[in-house]
Amino acid sequence: MDWPEQVSRVFGAEIAADAQSVEVTAADWHSRVLGARDDLGCTFFDWLTGVDLLPGGFEVVARFAAPRVGHTDAIMLRTTLPRHQPSVACICDVFAGAAWHERETYEMFGVDFVGHLDLRPLLLPDGFEGHPLRKDFVLASRVVKPWPGAKDPGESASDAAPGRRRTRPPGVPDSSDWRRPPIGQPDASVDTPPESGAARRPPDATGTGDRP
Amino acid sequence: MWGDGLLDGLAAAWSKLTEPPAATGYPGALPALPARSRGVIALIEENCTVCMLCARECPSWCIAIDSHKEETPSVTPGGRERSHNMLDRFAIDYSLCMYCGICIEVCPFDALHWSPEFEYAELDIRDLTHERDRLREWMWTVPPPPALDPHAPPPKEIPG
Repeated sequence: MDWPEQVSRVFGAEIAADAQSVEVTAADWHSRVLGARDDLGCTFFDWLTGVDLLPGGFEVVARFAAPRVGHTDAIMLRTTLPRHQPSVACICDVFAGAAWHERETYEMFGVDFVGHLDLRPLLLPDGFEGHPLRKDFVLASRVVKPWPGAKDPGESASDAAPGRRRTRPPGVPDSSDWRRPPIGQPDASVDTPPESGAARRPPDATGTGDRP
Repeated sequence: MWGDGLLDGLAAAWSKLTEPPAATGYPGALPALPARSRGVIALIEENCTVCMLCARECPSWCIAIDSHKEETPSVTPGGRERSHNMLDRFAIDYSLCMYCGICIEVCPFDALHWSPEFEYAELDIRDLTHERDRLREWMWTVPPPPALDPHAPPPKEIPG
């Protein structure tokens, strides 16, 4: 039996239209990963990450591989989570190596992995606020640093006219749009994805937030 | 005995001390780089009109340009003065550059070019900002473009 047949035997109707991946519901995530390992023989956990779909919520994608002689069969599982409360079951009991990937997805996208024993930040420094791979996260250095393209031809930094409306860099919000949500209150901007990348989720005011 | 391996290793290193290295490759011999290698970005400032397109398109904000306007008086009586943008400063910060080449693509007057030179590591990160004179020097290392494919249409720039 060749590989696509095996995949369709195990996953059936869940195979995505592009035939490249398997779309599962968040409730089935753990059991389908178990199925990929035990029924399909995908013994190698390749990677797990998140995708920010803005209004569509968050997608958790993972790839599992079955090493064969001379080649590798692989399958990609994806599940979509709501934006206001992205959470999915932890698969560390199936693949222990997923623990680091889930920690990284938790800190970068804010996706909660229910049952994970240790969701400490993996890459970000202590005290970092926000989830930097979310599309509504604003890079603070981009707001703080003057944009080299703001100058017009024939102009240097010293002789910039103060009153003129400056050209703004693409994707960076005006500093007046960019305010901090009140602490302890749910962030209202999460459910309404901002246009043109404007966001209201500044990093920590102590300066540990974003580094270029 | 503890340390035997260390002595063996030192003896092997000592016996090979005067022999030329067996490894061939970069530090001993320069690598054969493919055409269109992205080593460093060179500036031919005679072509630059200070349009700011490269500085605005740069995704990593690594191009700094300063300029001023100069007026030349009219050549004919009653004609008006012409103003030109004069380049004061053009600097690329290679500690920020990600070698995407968008500045080169976007330049409407071919003032920026890829050079295959890559040996400009520095001990101080501030020395990675190349000012216009250094960027101009890189221009001498820009190779001529690769020859056209056989049966390609002749380039439009060459009349006839």
